[in-house]
Amino acid sequence: MTSSPPPLLSVRGLVKRFPGVTALAGVDFDVRAGEVHCLLGQNGAGKSTLIKVLSGAHRPDEGEIRSNGEVVSFANPTAAMRAGVATLYQELDLVPGLSVADNVFLGHELSAGGFTRRAETRRRTRALLERLGHSDIPPDRDVGRLTAAQQQVVSMARALSRDARLLIMDEPSAVLDQDEVRTLFRVIRELTAQGVAVIHISHRLEEIREIGDRVTVLKDGRTVAAGLDVSAVSTAELIKLMTGREARNVYPPRRPVPPDAAEALVVRGLAVGRRAGVDFTVRAGEVVGLAGLVGAGRSEILEAVYGARKPTEGEVVVDGRRLKPGNVGAAVRAGVGLCPEERKSQGLLLDQAVYRNITVSSLPLFARMGFLDENAERTRSADLTASLDVRPSDVDRIVRTLSGGNQQKVVLARWLLRGCRVLLLDEPTRGVDVGARGEIYRLVRDLADRGVAVVVVSSDIDEVLGLADRVLVVREGRVVHEGPADEIDEARVLDLVMEGTAA
Amino acid sequence: MSEDTATRAAPRTNGTSFLASAPGRNTGLVVALVLLCLVGVVTAGDRFADLDNVLTILRLASVIGVVSVGMTFVITGGGIDLSVGAIVALASVWATTLATQSMATNTHWLIMVFTALAVGAGCGVINGALIAYGRIVAFIATLAMLAAARGLAEIISNRRTQIVNVQGFTAFFDASVLGVPVLVVVFALVAASGWVLLNRTTFGRRTFAVGGNPEAARLAGIDVRRHTVMLYTLLGVCCGIAAVMLVARTTTGSSTHGLLYELDAIAAVVIGGTLLSGGRGTIAGTVFGVLIFTTLSNVFTLNNLSISAQAVAKGAIIVVAVLLQQRLARRSTA
Amino acid sequence: MSRKAITGLVAAMAVALTACTGNTAQPPAGSGQGGAKVANDEPGEKVVIGFSAPAADHGWMAAITNAAKAEAGKYSDVELRVVEGTNDVNLQISQVETFINDKVDAIVLLPFDGAALTPVALKAMKAGIPVINVDREFDSPFAARSTVLGDNYGMGVSAGTYICEKLKGKTGAVVAEIAGIDSLPLTQDRSKGFADALSECGLKVNNRVAAEFTVESGEKAAANLLQAAPKLDAVWNHDDDQGVGVSAAIKNAGRSEFFLVGGAGSANVMREIKADNGLHKATVVYPSTQGADGIRLARLAVQGKALGDLVEVEIPREIQLYAPVVTKDNVDRYLPAAFES
Repeated sequence: MTSSPPPLLSVRGLVKRFPGVTALAGVDFDVRAGEVHCLLGQNGAGKSTLIKVLSGAHRPDEGEIRSNGEVVSFANPTAAMRAGVATLYQELDLVPGLSVADNVFLGHELSAGGFTRRAETRRRTRALLERLGHSDIPPDRDVGRLTAAQQQVVSMARALSRDARLLIMDEPSAVLDQDEVRTLFRVIRELTAQGVAVIHISHRLEEIREIGDRVTVLKDGRTVAAGLDVSAVSTAELIKLMTGREARNVYPPRRPVPPDAAEALVVRGLAVGRRAGVDFTVRAGEVVGLAGLVGAGRSEILEAVYGARKPTEGEVVVDGRRLKPGNVGAAVRAGVGLCPEERKSQGLLLDQAVYRNITVSSLPLFARMGFLDENAERTRSADLTASLDVRPSDVDRIVRTLSGGNQQKVVLARWLLRGCRVLLLDEPTRGVDVGARGEIYRLVRDLADRGVAVVVVSSDIDEVLGLADRVLVVREGRVVHEGPADEIDEARVLDLVMEGTAA
Repeated sequence: MSEDTATRAAPRTNGTSFLASAPGRNTGLVVALVLLCLVGVVTAGDRFADLDNVLTILRLASVIGVVSVGMTFVITGGGIDLSVGAIVALASVWATTLATQSMATNTHWLIMVFTALAVGAGCGVINGALIAYGRIVAFIATLAMLAAARGLAEIISNRRTQIVNVQGFTAFFDASVLGVPVLVVVFALVAASGWVLLNRTTFGRRTFAVGGNPEAARLAGIDVRRHTVMLYTLLGVCCGIAAVMLVARTTTGSSTHGLLYELDAIAAVVIGGTLLSGGRGTIAGTVFGVLIFTTLSNVFTLNNLSISAQAVAKGAIIVVAVLLQQRLARRSTA
Repeated sequence: MSRKAITGLVAAMAVALTACTGNTAQPPAGSGQGGAKVANDEPGEKVVIGFSAPAADHGWMAAITNAAKAEAGKYSDVELRVVEGTNDVNLQISQVETFINDKVDAIVLLPFDGAALTPVALKAMKAGIPVINVDREFDSPFAARSTVLGDNYGMGVSAGTYICEKLKGKTGAVVAEIAGIDSLPLTQDRSKGFADALSECGLKVNNRVAAEFTVESGEKAAANLLQAAPKLDAVWNHDDDQGVGVSAAIKNAGRSEFFLVGGAGSANVMREIKADNGLHKATVVYPSTQGADGIRLARLAVQGKALGDLVEVEIPREIQLYAPVVTKDNVDRYLPAAFES
C-alpha cells in the first residue's frame, strides 16, 4: 500500500456495554475514502451495535472515533449525518405515503419563507437519482409504490442529499433478488468512484468477494482481523476467523435417545407462505436444533408447528394425532409449548406477577367451577421457581423487574407446569447472560431426559450444535442438511447456511 | 444466599410501594370520596348527611355504576366501548314496546328483563365479533354501534317515550330490601359479582392476560378472539341490566335514555385506576369512581351550583386522577 | 311591576276547562285584584320552591329558567332552588329526589321527558309536596297539582289564520312550512293546526320541510326548501331559534318575494317585526314565561291563595296558554316578555 491520506473514518478501542452484556469489547478499524469496507461476523458479534455507535444512535463507553484525523463525538443521528455519515438500515426508514422527492429531503426540506420549493426539490432529486444511475425513478411517485431495490436507491439519494461521504449499509442485499443485487453493486461502484466510502455488512461471503475492497471481522465484540485485503484472504480463513471461539459454552452431556422412543412430533410437508414444505421428526427425549440465518424461515416453521401461523400446506402430528392447522389452542391441548423469540412482546405479561405468568396456560388446573385457587397457584409456582433457581424466587414479583435469564426461566416454568410433550424454543438464550445460559441448557436437557421432545432454533450455531442431538440446517425455508449434531462442525454449518461457497 | 436475600429485599420496597399496590390505590380514592363528603357536610350540613340523601346518591350511581362495572372488564381486556349509552337506549326501547309489554302482561314481567338483557348481549356480541374477527379497531366498531343502536332505538320507538304499564315490573323495582332500594341492591350485586369474576376466576385472569399482552396471551394458548367477544358481550349484558334499571326508575323506555353514558363510564373506570391501555383493572376502584362523580353531582345540586361548573370540576378530577396514576405506574416499574 | 305582570298573565291565559276560546280581551287598566278578595302579592309565609328543567341548549329553554329566576326574585317570600338543566333523565330524577329529601314546599318541573319523570313527581306528591308541571305533560293526572301548557295546535291555527288574512283574495298562493323535529308530538300538533287553519280559506301547505330546532338545521332545511320552491308567497317557520338559520339561508339565496311568520316569539324576530325591515311580518308566541307562571302558581298553591281574576278558591288544575300572533301593530306589548335566542 502506498502512503495514503488520513483515513476517512478511524475507530480505536471502541467499547459499548449494556446492562449484563458487553456488546463491543474493543473494536479498531479504518475506512478509507472511495473503498468498500466489509464488516463480517456472526449474529451477536457486535455488528449492529457498531453501526449504531457510528451512526450516533448509541454513545460509546470507551474509545474514540476520528473523522479525517479529528476526534468526533456523535451525540445523536443528526450529528453523525452532519459529519457526513449516513446509515441505510435493513428496514428502510422511508415514509411510504410521501413522494420520492419528499422522502429525499425529509428533515431538511428546501423552503423559502416557510413554503416548500417543490420544483427545486424535484430538480435536485432528479439530479441525485441520475448520479446513482437511476433516472428511471420518477421523483413524484409515492415511495410505497416502488420496488424494494428502488426504495434502497431513494435511501441512498437521501444520504447523498446530505453530502454523505460515508455510507453504512446494513445487509442491503437481504431484500433484493439477483438482478437487483447486481444493480445495487453497480450503484455502489459509481459512488466509490466519486470518493464516497461504503461500509457494507453482509452474511454472504461471495458478495463480499464481489464488491468488497477490504474486510474487517468481528467476533464477540472484538475485531479479530481488521482491514484485510479481500483478494488476499481465502473464504475458509474468513470462516475460521468468524467462528474460532475462545470461551466455549458448557453444554450438558447428551444421553443417547433410545431407538424405540416414540415419535412425539412429526412434521410433514409443512410450508409457510410460498416456501417449499419441510419434513422432520422429533422423538420423545430428543433435542433437535434448527440452524440457519435470520430470515431463513426457522421461526416461521416453529410458529406454524405451534399453530400461531397458518401453513399453506402440510400437517403437524403430535403423539399420533393430527393438529388442526393454525390453531394455537389445539396445539397447546395436544401438549405443545412455545418459548417465543421475542420474549418480552410475545412471551410474557410483563406487568403481572411471576405466578400469573407461570399459570396462564394451565388455569384449569387451579380452577373449580371457574373459580381460581390463588394459593395453590402460588405454591405450585414457588416450587417451580425454586427448582429452576429463578432469582429472586418471590412469585408475586412483577416479571418486568427480572433479568432476561430469569424471565426465560419463567416462560419455561409455564410449560413445565403444563407438562408438555413437545417444547419449541425460539432463540432461548437471546438477551440471557452467559451464566444463566448454562442453566437454561441444563434445563432443556433435563426436560429431554424426562421424555419431552424439544426443538431449538438459534442463530448461535455453536449453541445449536452443543445442545441438540440432531441438527437441521435451514436455508430459504428448506432443510438443506440433516444429521447428528456431533458429526458436523460450526464451519460446515456456516458454509451450508451461506450457500456453500467455501472451497 | 445472602446475595439472594439482598436482591430480593431491595427492589421489593420500591418496586411495590404501598401507594402503588391495589389497596393503596383505592386508599387514594377513599380519601378523595371522604374529602368530597366533608365538603358536602360543610356546605350543605344535614341535608347532605341525611340517609335519604345518601340513598339518592346511591340510586343515581346505580345505573351508570352497572355500566361502569362492565366497562371495567372491556378496558382491562385492552378494549373500549363507545356504544354503551346507545345500547342502554336500544335495550330500554325494545323492552318496552307494546309487543313486549303485552307479552309480559300475559306471562311474566321478567320477559321485559330478558328482552333487555338479550338486546344488550346481542349488541355486545356484534361489537366483539367485529373487533375480534372483523379486525376493526374497537374505537371505530363501537362508534358504528353507537350510531346504529340509537338510530334503531329511534326507529322502534318512533322517537316517542314508551310508558311501562306492567304493574309487576314497576312494583318489583320500586320496592326496598331492608330499607335499601332494589336498584341499589342490583348495583351492589353486579359490583360484587364483577369483583369475584375479575379477581377470582379463570375468566378474570384471562382478561388481565389478554389486556396485558394479547400476543403473549395468544401464544400461551388463550383464545384471545373468543375472549374478546365474551368481554363485549358481558358489557352488553351490563348495559341490558342498566336499561332495566333505567326503565324501572323512569317507567319509560326512550331512545334518549343513556345519553353520554360512554363518557361517564369510561371516566369512572379510569379514575378508579384501571389502565386505559389494558392489563390492569379494579372493580372496587370503578365503584369508587362512580361514587365520586355522583357525590360530586349531589354536592353541586345541594349548593345550587351549575352543571357547567360541575363539568369543569369533573374534568379537573379526571386529569388529577390520571396524572396521579401515571406517577404511581412510573414508580412501580422504576 | 309584579301587579302589572300578573294581570298580563291572566290576560294571556285561558282556562283549559273552558277550552281554548281565544279570549284576547284587553285587561282593564289598573285592575289587579280579582273576584276573590286576596292580596296575592302581599308577602305571605315563606315558600321554598325547587326548580328543574332540561339543559339550556336552546334559546327558548334558557329563557324558561331565566324567567323563572327573575320571577322568584320579585317575591321576598320565595326562595328558589334552581338545579341547572340536564337532558339525562336519571340525573333529573335524582335532582327531584334531592328536593324531596330537602322537604321543599313546592316543585316546579319542566321534565326532559314527561313520562320518565312521572314516577318521581308522584313520589313528591305523595310526600305532600305540590308539583307544578310545565310544558311537557306527565302521564299521570296525580303527578301534578297543576299543569301549565303551551298551545301547540293553537300556534298552528294562529299562524295559518294570519297567513289567510294576509293572502286574502290571492288564489293559487304558495305556502311553505318549516317544521321542528318531525317526530315530536308537539310538532305534529303545530302542523295539524296550521293545515286546518289554511284549509279554512282554501289554501294548503305546498312545501313542507323539517328542521331540528337548531340554527344549523334551520339553515339546511330552508336552503333545501328554497331550492325546491322557486316562488313562494308565505312561509311559516315553527321556531325562531332555528329561524336564525332560516333567515341566513333566505339571505344567501337572495329571495324576498314572500313574507315569513315565525314561531315561539324571540326578541330578535320581534325587533325585526317592529322595524319592519325584514321578511318576518309576524310571529306566533309560545310563551317562554311558562316556568315563571309555574313559580307563581307554586307560591299560591303553598300559601293557599287563589288565582286573582278567578272566582275559585283554589288555583286551577290545568292552564293552557294562548298563542297570540305578534305583528307590527301589537309588538310593543309582547317584546318585553320575549326571549333572546
